[in-house]
Amino acid sequence: MRKSVFSLMSLFVVLSLVLAACAPAATPTPEVIKETVEVPVEVTVEVPVEVTPEVVAYERSETLYVSGAAWGPPSDWNPFITWSKANTTGTIGLVYETLFMYDPLTDELIPWLAESGEWTDANTYDLKLREGITWSDGQPLTAADVVFTFELGQKYAALWFSPTWNYLDSVTAIGDYDVQFNFTDPLYQEWASNLYNIPIVPKHLWEGRTEEEVTAGANENPVGSGAYLYESHAEDRNVWVRNEDWWATSLLGLKPAPKRIVDMRFASNNVALGAVIKGEVDLSNNFLPGIATLSEKGYVQTYFAEAPYMLSANTAVLFLNTTKPPMDDPDFRRAVAFAINTGDIVNVAYANLVKAADPTGLLPSLAKYVDQAVVDELGFSYDPDEAKAILAAAGYVDVDGDGFVEAPDGSKIELEVTCPFGWTDWMEAIKVIANSAQDAGINIQDKTPDYGAWDTALTTGTFDMTLNNWAGMSNTPWTLYNLLFNHPIRDVMGSGNFGRYDNQQMFDLVDQLAATPSTDEAGMKAICSQIQELMLTEMPVIPLWYNGLWAQYSNAVWTNWPSEAENIPSRLPCTWSGYWQMGGLLTLTELEPVPPSE
Amino acid sequence: MKLMRSEILYFALRNNKLRVGLTIILFFLVLTFVGPMLTHYDPYDYVNPNGAQPPSSEYWFGTTMFGQDVFTQFIHGLKATFLVGVVGGGLGTLIGILVGFTAGYRGGIFDEILNMLTNVVLVIPTLAILLIIAAYLEVRGILTESIFIGCTAWPWAARAIRAQTFSLRSREFVDLARLSGMKPRKIIFTEIAPNMMSYLLLVFILQFGGAVLAAATLDFIGLGPTNAISLGLMMNYAVLWGALLLGMWWWFIPPGVAITAIVGALYVANVGLDEVFNPKLREM
Amino acid sequence: MRRYFGRKLLIYILTFFLAVTIDWLIPRFMPGNPVQTMLSRAALRAEAVEVMYGYYTRAFGLDVPIWQQYLNFWNALFHGDLGTSVYMFPQPVTKVIMRAVPYDIFLLLPAILLSWYAGNHFGAFAARTKWLDNTILPVGYILTATPYMWLGILLAWVFGIVLGVFPIAGAYSFALRPHLSWTFIRSVLHHWFLPFASLFLVMFGGWAIGMRNMIIYELEADYSHYLEALGAPRRLVRKYAFRNAILPQITGLALQLGVIAAGALVTEVVFSYPGIGYLILAAIQNQDYFLIQGCFLFIIIGVLLANFAIDIAYVIVDPRTRLGMTGEAA
Repeated sequence: MRKSVFSLMSLFVVLSLVLAACAPAATPTPEVIKETVEVPVEVTVEVPVEVTPEVVAYERSETLYVSGAAWGPPSDWNPFITWSKANTTGTIGLVYETLFMYDPLTDELIPWLAESGEWTDANTYDLKLREGITWSDGQPLTAADVVFTFELGQKYAALWFSPTWNYLDSVTAIGDYDVQFNFTDPLYQEWASNLYNIPIVPKHLWEGRTEEEVTAGANENPVGSGAYLYESHAEDRNVWVRNEDWWATSLLGLKPAPKRIVDMRFASNNVALGAVIKGEVDLSNNFLPGIATLSEKGYVQTYFAEAPYMLSANTAVLFLNTTKPPMDDPDFRRAVAFAINTGDIVNVAYANLVKAADPTGLLPSLAKYVDQAVVDELGFSYDPDEAKAILAAAGYVDVDGDGFVEAPDGSKIELEVTCPFGWTDWMEAIKVIANSAQDAGINIQDKTPDYGAWDTALTTGTFDMTLNNWAGMSNTPWTLYNLLFNHPIRDVMGSGNFGRYDNQQMFDLVDQLAATPSTDEAGMKAICSQIQELMLTEMPVIPLWYNGLWAQYSNAVWTNWPSEAENIPSRLPCTWSGYWQMGGLLTLTELEPVPPSE
Repeated sequence: MKLMRSEILYFALRNNKLRVGLTIILFFLVLTFVGPMLTHYDPYDYVNPNGAQPPSSEYWFGTTMFGQDVFTQFIHGLKATFLVGVVGGGLGTLIGILVGFTAGYRGGIFDEILNMLTNVVLVIPTLAILLIIAAYLEVRGILTESIFIGCTAWPWAARAIRAQTFSLRSREFVDLARLSGMKPRKIIFTEIAPNMMSYLLLVFILQFGGAVLAAATLDFIGLGPTNAISLGLMMNYAVLWGALLLGMWWWFIPPGVAITAIVGALYVANVGLDEVFNPKLREM
Repeated sequence: MRRYFGRKLLIYILTFFLAVTIDWLIPRFMPGNPVQTMLSRAALRAEAVEVMYGYYTRAFGLDVPIWQQYLNFWNALFHGDLGTSVYMFPQPVTKVIMRAVPYDIFLLLPAILLSWYAGNHFGAFAARTKWLDNTILPVGYILTATPYMWLGILLAWVFGIVLGVFPIAGAYSFALRPHLSWTFIRSVLHHWFLPFASLFLVMFGGWAIGMRNMIIYELEADYSHYLEALGAPRRLVRKYAFRNAILPQITGLALQLGVIAAGALVTEVVFSYPGIGYLILAAIQNQDYFLIQGCFLFIIIGVLLANFAIDIAYVIVDPRTRLGMTGEAA
């Protein structure tokens, strides 16, 4: 018997060896070895020169562990592949930098690669670059790189900022450090957000690349101008190491404290929570339930010491499909708005981790664009009686006595509110929506299809009501309105206006806002006021609550985290893609290492 | 080999494994039917405004992070578990019987084709098929899940039954029937099946347990029912909301214990039954 | 012998063909469009979305008729090309999978083989040993009835959180880069232990119970009594019984592989262990056609290979099979 068991085992061993042979070798070394074979004996001495000792174990006191930004394994370091940026957060921000940064807390554009920039007339934008910036390979960063980067968008329609060229005519380098942009009918709002979102890439390394390499290449070993360099990656991590020659250290006196940043990806928030409790993560940007408990126990620190603990990052809005009755009726839509118990969503589903949204949906950082007079007159809040009154006045009555109203034409109303299965906080939220609407006499059921099915229903407009929050923090209210009232209406609405609200007046207002100079605050406010009035009267979407900028930090190794407290930097403590240039990087420069305990 | 009914009952009642196993299952079964009378909540209702609370006289198994009653969820979850077991396990056994009998009795090309079919189902990752079904249905129920599990869990049963049929086929009484001109189908059902009744019962019990575990796995990775509660879903939610890490053990322990106890009891009862049917196996 | 294996091989090839075809069909029947899903996350201007949609549809080869896609798929498959991952764009699927496979082998092979070996021997030993039969075997029942993920999470909780002696995520420390040193190897083993243990324990319970029952069948069989009557030592009788009882256990192993693959999947998910199972879940959640297809293809090949290996092992262990090969086609 013994023998046969062993023969069986040896079979498996053989099998495993065969399989193992298919796997790539763990350490890539062949380049060097190949050369030794080819070159004559005398030269071999020179070959190992390139080999620098690899750091294989990171010093805890010099390393910052972050999590919560990466959706998937790092797969590319190409700053132009937008959706996978979530997997390698920091490609823009830590490696490639933008002309400006933006601080949502102070609503300021901070000159970064650019020293200054201004509209010299309605169609000309003049930009002055900082002198003395170098790429991590030692080459200087000049106006030619900026022109090259923008012109990539002109050449390749597949780049996300390519539509900028609809109103951008030319980009010209004037000398080494001045760039002039010429426009016809510029969209000022979008341009301002471009300034802190388009990453500048080195011309000397990118100009020889094909379209495919530029738009879809993995761009391994990226060379950027930023504070960190790519070091290594695995399925569940991406490691950045500090760029000791970073330009801002000498030019601006900034130096990020951590020598290394290990960006960890956890499959579930549960694992992330475990890592936070064990002190293995310094900054977690995961949505972690029960933060209140952890905060009380002293495991974590958050931006606010009390509820809602977190800053607000984006608005969760309920899209109503305005092509389907009865949601084509503004009265019905307004009744729904009054019927939803947002308080329960905030208190029960989120345990006070979020804040109820302003009726206009604008984030607190954009509060100055809210026309309070309009909100006072037309705003909504949870009020089932008001909901019932609106319904009754508009002819929605419970005819058959089942507790739910019927449409004025007598037809039954049966609606579904959806969100993707597995989005646990939203799943609880839509339960609240359905329950409170039912209490007000509107028959709404909550359904949770899989993400793919949900996404299809969303973009093709077959859903009834669904949640969405795709407009993040930004410098302009236009970002939100571009999501809510994206136009024109197409077969597939991939980037907004999922409820297919078709109102030319609204579209004109949004376009007008887009073309208003960012400096014209009064003009922006006037248009926003009109948009808000129309939106609250027609109610095609219902802003419900602000999703938090989930951030919990540990003071075990690093301190001086952003907080509302005085004398402490107020920055966005965030590693999400797109947030490095909105305060994330500056947070790093303000961190302080905890001195080793005696 | 054939035993008198009374004799079987006698040994069944005296078999400790069977007694323990059946008692546990009966306990959960009774709980499933009596339970709904003990609670006046719905599984997803927010009943406790204070959120998570450990077990108390008001909430026997405590409440979830949102203040849902764990006991209510547990009771409804038990029902789902038994449903999956009966439907999924039953279907799996049925298909296994059909395929196994036919392959084993007819042999030849039937056997080859069915064997191939069994192999294909065996190697295809069942999760993949569930994906399409999931995507088509958008919203899944427990019954769908059960049927799906039944349709993918039969291969081992088919193989085992095929082997049993093989050995029975060559017995004298089957030969006799065949010589007397009985049709194959009739032989299968009148001669072979009755002699395998006890064996089929054992297969069903194992399928039942397997279906319950499979459902728990599917629920746990988020491919379970999207419109109902089950023990696997309870675990899924508990884990997603960090129940163990935040010390809310009451949310997480009951469903796991129940699944383990029910499936374990089934296995124990299975061995006990085997001993009852097969006198040689009885404890000395 | 040759005929037997020839026929087996033919069946395996046919099975492979069918299974792979179904595997190819599956993602294509899923509603939802992966390119659309991918782009919708980027929240772009509408014009950009339309251009990029066309661009990536072509890039993924989704713009040709469905039959053409099928032929292209087989053609690419024979060139070792499984397409490009949508979710991990622009990484090729083969590369992604090959990075995960070593972890699977490292986790599954020891867990399957050790639990099978230990379970069988323990079960055989416990059978008819009254005190063991009454004390440890019940534990076996509990273990085999435990859902994989539940045991995994309990272990993670007790050893990872409460006692804090084992890590709960990853394949090696986040403070290390793969290299050859004791620190690294220790870290790898440290991270490997809990997922291994949860797989091992559940499977161990199953094999032990199975063997215990099998061996009792054998010990009560006529030949055993006959041997005993002839005065053969008890050890010898048990040895023969074990030999016969191991056969169904080998078949059982082949049948269990699918279940084990699913068990490994949830275990990897629980411990964030970067194997195929972990990939599959991500691929499913992200509607990554090509990655789903690739992962399942890999499982199909794995299960088929293992089945084939077991077939061979069976022939070696059971001489009767060899006899049957030349005889009737049963």
